[in-house]
Amino acid sequence: MFKELDPILHSQLRLAVMSLLISVKEAEFTFIKEKTNSTAGNLSVQVQKLKESGYIEVNKQFKDNYPLTTCKVTPKGIEAFENYVKALQEYLQVGK
Amino acid sequence: MHDNEKELSQEESLMIIQQMINTAKHEQKDDGKGWIAWGWMLFAASILTVINLRYKWFDIFFFWNMFGAVTLIVMVVELVKVFLMKRTTRVKTYTKTLFEKLNAGFFICIMFNIFAINLGVGPAKGFALLIGLYGFWILIYGTALDFKPSVIASFITWAFGFIALFQTKFEVVMLLHAGAVLVGYIIPGHIANREFKKLTGRKLNQSAGV
Repeated sequence: MFKELDPILHSQLRLAVMSLLISVKEAEFTFIKEKTNSTAGNLSVQVQKLKESGYIEVNKQFKDNYPLTTCKVTPKGIEAFENYVKALQEYLQVGK
Repeated sequence: MHDNEKELSQEESLMIIQQMINTAKHEQKDDGKGWIAWGWMLFAASILTVINLRYKWFDIFFFWNMFGAVTLIVMVVELVKVFLMKRTTRVKTYTKTLFEKLNAGFFICIMFNIFAINLGVGPAKGFALLIGLYGFWILIYGTALDFKPSVIASFITWAFGFIALFQTKFEVVMLLHAGAVLVGYIIPGHIANREFKKLTGRKLNQSAGV
């Protein structure tokens, strides 16, 4: 029986955000936006979903009167990502 | 990148993961400029000291004092940038954080050595120990960045340091020091810089659709 792919992660932009954050300590919103080639509005929505799921931590502050948002993956997010990759590997092995 | 427009296939998921991890990897790459600048400064100080020993223009340590002054100025400028201008990076990687601590530890160890040289260890032995310290730093750097030239260079640097330990002539130690920084910092720095430029060029071409 296959594990079901985590619906939170099984979406193009959310998966890209998680894959990016898993490799770094923390990243600014603008950096994620640039690297994922997404729009600010769409990214905001997806970041919020990841935050609500407890997969990432979002820190909002002000720097020189400008809002500065940084994101960081949580231990729960790391576990979910690992499980997602494992499930993906199972699917791909059977597909071969 | 759009979201929820279509169902993702497993292959597409894997591709996204791979693509994003590669993007993050690029952030971990070092452009080698720091190694090149640091390496050439040390190299110049060593060679100018050898020439100065021959022609006796100034005090023996004149060029090392100059090097110390320039290093101090650079450090102060960097500290001002960090604390007063609150310069931040858009992304913090684990390796960057490690290097920040590593660099601080490295400079503290250099200070220990400089004090030891002044307290009686003597310049010939002191510089041999400094070369050993360079090797340690280069090995960690190369390992953390998975950069083979630095890993290989660290062992050659240690060899220079080991030979220097048995030398009594300061002039010979200075030449060995110059050789160690050439192999340990300058050559790997230029290789890293060339690789970084290639990678950046490839990324620019990709984004321009070339």
